[in-house]
Amino acid sequence: MPNRSVAREKTAFGIIRFLSVFTVAILALIMGFILYKGLRYSNEVRGTVLPYEEASPDGLSIVVNDREGLESLEFPVLFGMYTDEYINWSKISADEHELLPVAIDPAAPDGAKAERLLFGESGRAGAEWGSSVRFAPDAASALALVRATPGAVAIVPSAALGAAGKGVQTLPLRRMTLAVSEDVVALVDNRSVEDLSDAAIDRLLKGSIANWKELGGPDLAVSILPASPGGMTAPAAAIAQAKGGVARIYASEAQAAGLSTLTRKGVERGWNLSFRYLVEAPRLSGKVGGISTIILNTFFMLILTIAMAAPIGVAAAVYLVEYAKQGPLVRLLRLGTETLAGIPSIIFGLFGFLFFVDILGFGFGLLSGCLTLTLMILPTIVRTSEEALKAVPRSLREGSLALGATKLQTIARVAIPAAAPGILTGLILGIGRAVGETAALIFTMGSDYKLAKGLFSSARALSSHVYLLFAEGISFDRAFSTATVLILIVLAFNFGARRLVGRMGGMK
Amino acid sequence: MTETIKAESPAAGNGKFDVDGLDLWYGPAQALKGVTMRIAGNSITALIGPSGCGKSTFLRVLDRMNDLIDGIRIEGKVLYDGVDLFGQVDVIELRKKIGMVFQKPNPFPMSIYDNVAYGPRVHGLRARTPAERRRLDELVEKSLANAALLDEVKDRLHKSALGLSGGQQQRLCIARVLAVEPDVLLMDEPTSALDPISTSKIEGLLDELKKSYTIVIVTHNMQQAGRVSDSTGFFLHGELVEYAPTKEIFFNPRDERTENYISGRFG
Repeated sequence: MPNRSVAREKTAFGIIRFLSVFTVAILALIMGFILYKGLRYSNEVRGTVLPYEEASPDGLSIVVNDREGLESLEFPVLFGMYTDEYINWSKISADEHELLPVAIDPAAPDGAKAERLLFGESGRAGAEWGSSVRFAPDAASALALVRATPGAVAIVPSAALGAAGKGVQTLPLRRMTLAVSEDVVALVDNRSVEDLSDAAIDRLLKGSIANWKELGGPDLAVSILPASPGGMTAPAAAIAQAKGGVARIYASEAQAAGLSTLTRKGVERGWNLSFRYLVEAPRLSGKVGGISTIILNTFFMLILTIAMAAPIGVAAAVYLVEYAKQGPLVRLLRLGTETLAGIPSIIFGLFGFLFFVDILGFGFGLLSGCLTLTLMILPTIVRTSEEALKAVPRSLREGSLALGATKLQTIARVAIPAAAPGILTGLILGIGRAVGETAALIFTMGSDYKLAKGLFSSARALSSHVYLLFAEGISFDRAFSTATVLILIVLAFNFGARRLVGRMGGMK
Repeated sequence: MTETIKAESPAAGNGKFDVDGLDLWYGPAQALKGVTMRIAGNSITALIGPSGCGKSTFLRVLDRMNDLIDGIRIEGKVLYDGVDLFGQVDVIELRKKIGMVFQKPNPFPMSIYDNVAYGPRVHGLRARTPAERRRLDELVEKSLANAALLDEVKDRLHKSALGLSGGQQQRLCIARVLAVEPDVLLMDEPTSALDPISTSKIEGLLDELKKSYTIVIVTHNMQQAGRVSDSTGFFLHGELVEYAPTKEIFFNPRDERTENYISGRFG
């Protein structure tokens, strides 16, 4: 029945092709997802201010010594800076300096404008400046202070910037909010207006939404209040009195008038992995700064591990293949190495912690970590080197021996060079396992993210960094960008090894 | 020593090798049964016989390559220049004097130059000074020339030997052996993996080499044995059935089995 067998062939081919395409697709998905998340961040943000930036609100500029990657400032943050809510920058940007809020004396005209920006026209009377605010007599001295002090921020008239604005950076402000009358946010039947996406806000302000019910709120008609003439915002009093009223208003005014605001649920996107991230040292548990020291620590770790594991592993393989009498003992050794290769790394971590860190007293550090990793990757190196040596044709060994070479000469000059591509593959596999190791390292190498100073100095590797960033909830984005760097390093290793093996294969 | 030489030995006087009553077992299987023969110096001796008859095993006894095999047992006597091979001999020195070329070309995965220089190097020739380097260069060139390969490879000495053709690789292996300056060349079917042109090149080479070396060649190819050898031994089931000058074996075989084999009735 040739037809049936042809059909069967075709079916089998289809299944095989589907499975292979499926596998490739899954791999591409994983790699692509991690690389994308590593390179770009896109986070859901909740806040009361709308994504509308003003470079010069009310003719004022917000200047900082160094904006540290910050692109704009939200009004609640600015307000918090001047009311003692923040004492340093770590919760605001990738900076850890102490915060120095500088303002011009409210008695001066420029100072009064800044006070209005922060507390609103109606709130000026009861303005409560934070105790950490430093008042400067005029814009020039405020700018000088910002220039000289890392971590300083000031509100100065934009006109004063000019030449005096050199050495400082300005930050746009986002202060527009969506205020509603009290009846809109009231809890009715256990329901209230939900957080609004940018699209929903757009529709709301365009008048496409007639009733608050559509947004999960009470059964109340939406009434959009017009902005006061010449401005973009509606008067606070009008919003408060309107039934189902909503309008744009500055956060300072809404705050002063005690208006309720709607919460915006937006998505922010941007570059996650930057050159700065690679070359800067991490600070504050990796919350700010980069990962340069961690990358270096990882390389130290790899070099030390390979320097210990490669000679031992290759020597063991040479012994097993070339010298050992193939009997029960060698079989036992083989079984042992194979079992070790399959043991979870946390077990190696436990052993390393007890043996190297505690009993031998090496402490948490590079040496303990690398010894543990060496034990962990040795089985892989031994097994692959063994296979590579076994694959060297007997005729090559005989050729060498027939020329009068000794066994050792034959091994060193013919067998090992001929097996080099395979041995190298084993080393790369070992490196791959070592660079991806976390569990065995946290308990042996420690997790200090500073540059390792010596063999006994605690050091953090990239994989541990990813784990800690994630597990301690420090930064999801940073965990992904570190993971991307890790993947790129492994990729570079594999590519380099391929080139090397290819070049050696050229001699074959 | 003379009493160990059997009357049917074709060469007169002491041979290069004098083999007397050689028995060899791989585990329980006997591969050689009472082989007795004398191999004359500066001549080509061909060993013929069907597959599995023990001719290659016999060849490997002559430079003790069988030492590498587990479970092997050898009885009898083999004298090389009057010295007992299984007595107090330095195997390394022995293999230096008795070179071997294998059935399949087995160049090392390194350059042509390094292949030829391998033997001298493992025997302690270091190319540290310019004079030493020149000596090694000369040795490599001389060996390649003697193996009739120099003209083909002289402009790519430092390229990989694995890029050569099969015939060139086999001549490289011969050059590699010659570089150790041996006394005897053992060849285990050296042309069986080669095309006719490469084969004829190597056969021509054998005639040249005969002047300075003793050559023992195992071959499946009866025409080859007839063309190149001075004397021929016919092996069957581990026994040396007949050993005589080549012309006699081919034109006037004494044993019926030899005649059957040569006339192509089996094998």
